[in-house]
Amino acid sequence: MNLLASIKQKLNATIKSRINSWLSKRVPGSYKHVLSSRNIFIMPTRFGFSYLLLVTLLFLLGTNYQNNIILLLSYLLASLFITTMMHSFYNFSQLTFTSTKLQYGFASQNIYFPIQVKTSKDHYDINFHFYQIEQNVDLTKLDLCSRGEVQVLVSIKPELRGVHELGRIKVFSEYSLGLFITWAMLDFSHQVIVFPHPKKLSNHSNFLSSINEKGPDELEYKTNQSGIDDFSELKNYIVGESQARVAWKQLARGQGKLTKHYQSQQGNPIWLKLSSMPHTDIETQLSYLCFLILEYGKTQQQFGLLLDSNLSSVDQENVSISPDAGNQHQQNCLIALAKFNNGRSAD
Amino acid sequence: MFNTARKINSPFALSYQNSWLLWFCQLMNISSLALEISTWMLAILALCLCWQALLINLKFNSNKLAKVSPVLLTLFAIGGCIAIAITAANLGVLISMVHLLTFAYVLKAFEIKRRKDFYQLLLLGLFLLAAALIFKQNLIFSFMLILVLVLNLMVLMLIFSPSKSLPSMAKTISILLIQSTVLAVVLFIVFPRLSPFWQVPSAKSAQTGLSDEVSPGDIANLALSNDLAFRVDFKGGQIPNYSKLYWRAMTLELYDGRKWTRANNIYRKAKETKPFKPETSGQAINYDIIVEPSFQSWLYGLAIAQSTDIQIKNSSDYTIQTRNIISQISHYEINSYLNTSLDLSIDDITKKRNLSIVQGSNPKLERLGRELKSKYVSPQERSNAILAMFRAEQYFYTLKPPLLTNNSLDQFFFNTQAGFCVHYASSYTYLMRAAGIPARVVTGYLGGEYNNTSNEPLSNTVKQQGGHLSVYQYDAHAWSEIWLEGIGWFRVDPTAAVDPERVESGWSSALLEQQSSLNNDFVDLYQLRNIAWLNALRLQLDALDYQWTRWVLGYSTKKQFDLLKRWFGKDIPWKVSAVVVGSLIIFMLLLNSLSRFSLWWFKAKQATPWLVLYNKLRLKLVNKGLKPTSNITPSSFALLVTEQLPFLSSDFAEFTRVFECLMYQDLSKKQQDELLLHLKNQYVKLKGKL
Repeated sequence: MNLLASIKQKLNATIKSRINSWLSKRVPGSYKHVLSSRNIFIMPTRFGFSYLLLVTLLFLLGTNYQNNIILLLSYLLASLFITTMMHSFYNFSQLTFTSTKLQYGFASQNIYFPIQVKTSKDHYDINFHFYQIEQNVDLTKLDLCSRGEVQVLVSIKPELRGVHELGRIKVFSEYSLGLFITWAMLDFSHQVIVFPHPKKLSNHSNFLSSINEKGPDELEYKTNQSGIDDFSELKNYIVGESQARVAWKQLARGQGKLTKHYQSQQGNPIWLKLSSMPHTDIETQLSYLCFLILEYGKTQQQFGLLLDSNLSSVDQENVSISPDAGNQHQQNCLIALAKFNNGRSAD
Repeated sequence: MFNTARKINSPFALSYQNSWLLWFCQLMNISSLALEISTWMLAILALCLCWQALLINLKFNSNKLAKVSPVLLTLFAIGGCIAIAITAANLGVLISMVHLLTFAYVLKAFEIKRRKDFYQLLLLGLFLLAAALIFKQNLIFSFMLILVLVLNLMVLMLIFSPSKSLPSMAKTISILLIQSTVLAVVLFIVFPRLSPFWQVPSAKSAQTGLSDEVSPGDIANLALSNDLAFRVDFKGGQIPNYSKLYWRAMTLELYDGRKWTRANNIYRKAKETKPFKPETSGQAINYDIIVEPSFQSWLYGLAIAQSTDIQIKNSSDYTIQTRNIISQISHYEINSYLNTSLDLSIDDITKKRNLSIVQGSNPKLERLGRELKSKYVSPQERSNAILAMFRAEQYFYTLKPPLLTNNSLDQFFFNTQAGFCVHYASSYTYLMRAAGIPARVVTGYLGGEYNNTSNEPLSNTVKQQGGHLSVYQYDAHAWSEIWLEGIGWFRVDPTAAVDPERVESGWSSALLEQQSSLNNDFVDLYQLRNIAWLNALRLQLDALDYQWTRWVLGYSTKKQFDLLKRWFGKDIPWKVSAVVVGSLIIFMLLLNSLSRFSLWWFKAKQATPWLVLYNKLRLKLVNKGLKPTSNITPSSFALLVTEQLPFLSSDFAEFTRVFECLMYQDLSKKQQDELLLHLKNQYVKLKGKL
């Protein structure tokens, strides 16, 4: 029994890989796909087969009763089957899809891949989903794709952080009578970078550190560090600076709009360290880090990121990103989180 | 890899529009079978549909979750099935099956939870439609059925294109069906017709038409029916005069004082010894008869009718019957020898049977018969004397004769003196028997309506007549035959003495008026005949239906074989398969080119006049040797023109400017017209320069 199952599994795997390699030859990855006889597949649905059974039944009925009209009806329905096949094909062909390759998002959240659909005539019942996601397929349905251009969002909801190749998008339609399913497996080389799911860390200032600070007095230092807001100087306000830092007192006195600047940010930037996160599970640690990055991103503070881990399960070199601020920096940090020790998440 | 814990597709639910469409579609499917379903079942079905309508209304209008309790539904289903099982013996297998199917069809609609349920319901509906065709196959019904089929497919299509409007959906379905017709017709013509695989229950319907016992007043009821009995195609040959079109169905030789019946047992004996083969002589006329289902075995023919078909047997009274009852439209070919006499000699048993009267049942007639016998020597004179009596006295030919006590012929002949054909035929036959001449009553049809609306050119001979003869139930008739030495059975129609018009050309208008007042058909013949265009339309429809019956319903294995043989000669099988495959390929190619064409047409339709003009000029320039890249903008194309064809430079720049204005600016209609005119002028100018 076991042997049989394993043989079956192996067979399935080889068939799958064969199909995949054939597919990648026939429908190679591209940012743009035009549906034509080259990449459209068409098969009768289960309903299509039952319909054929009905047609056969009607043929038997007509023959047994020697009833020409029932025979004619059965022939008509049989021809309709073929006509519908052609119509299904034409409903599906001539569609043009374009999509961007890369999207970012957090784990356990919907991530949307926009696909531009362009046509020169009306198409009905166009459905999209990521093919390799086998369970709980989330369909995106387009009842009517009218002439012109439409944007469709195809969503996934990954549970694990990391960089994922999403594989092909299956686009299918059962128009016009559900007798046939026409589909195409489009490879946009879609890739998603999934950041860890941010996990709220209360009292988070406890876990900030300077790159220089090491050793047993670490904890103590951190408590000192709680006074990061050591005021150093006032500077003229620059458009875009956080309102939280505006020196309202000075403004009220009529000294102009100034912002407070703090010593610790400048001279001694904050470092977010993986190893200083509480909890022993690396994923949870990363989640906390993610939360912190977002928090500091909100307040435009400068911070550096150090991904180091002394956990035995982690066998990756430390990653460090030097302190900086801004969206790009935040993005880079999050990507680093997603990619960290990524060999593990592939299994 | 990903565990996208999201809901799958939302559960299958029909839209408001589709729910009602499905409901209506169910109604239509069932009504196509309504005539076959017994009243109690119709009531149940109507109840279910009303219930369904209520549920739909509740579901969409009050947002309440309208659910039928499954227990109730199951009980209901079981109850219905028991009722069908109980009545099955009366209804017959086929009709019971139809009951069961329709019942299941209606109940299934209560539990459409998944898409699968919906599909099942739809397929069942299609099967019901096909089942309706077992019972009725005429042209109008078939056409209606196609419309219902469109409706069924619309319900299906609405699932996949909910945004489409109903008319456009009907259009799409019609296009699909019309395209399918091509292949369907090819298949119909060439696909091998098989003999039945197994015995199927046949429709057990009420017998229609003539019955094998007749009492005075019987045929008058039949005369109220406007239904078709049979059609005759003389194949372009000369159609005999109306007064000769006596379509014999059966002879009635036994009279028990009340009604005439067939001498059944005697024929059976004769059949056992050897099959009867009538002697014939002279020129035969050949014709085809297409009988509507009568659920009896009688066939109709002009005496003496003969058929080579083995399914048809000849009886010794020169009538013809099929071996099985006629439960669907059938077709047979007959040769009639109009001038041959029937039975030059008859045996004593037959003679005795045809002379027997129930002594004392009609004493006055018997006395009259004896008087005639003593008064006139020759049988013809006796017969003429009776006919003269009919002619001389005030006899009425009427559809509503007064009732006779005990079907007394005396009462009719001497008192009421008003009756339909059976009255006259009965009393005449009775009198003849009383006068010592063997006589019998014959029933059948007289005449028929000649319809040459669909007069197709059959051959070059001018003499040949096209068209066909339609014989309706109201053409049913009864007459007499007397046996004369040296002549055989001789036809005498006493009706001719009373109402000559009936025998010469059909019903008088007085009779038609009577018929229309007696029957309660919505459109009656009397009104129809009086309105010329309506009558023309009726004849046109009849002709169409006739062609339908002849070519489509009558397309038998033999006809198919003959046709294929004529087309392909030998080697039919592989040539036929070649045709099927070939037509399939041609069909697909046709569809392909059609869609390509429509795409092109679509694009052409989108093109604005200025775009057309611009492209024309552009093509001309390309022909001059310009090589623009495929996605060049108009302005850079203008630059290219300036470079290579400097003499066009300024004009083409202007042309491009106007074109771009028209193309990309939001202009009012008036501005557009002005600019377009300018563009056209510029175009002409440039063309001149080129």
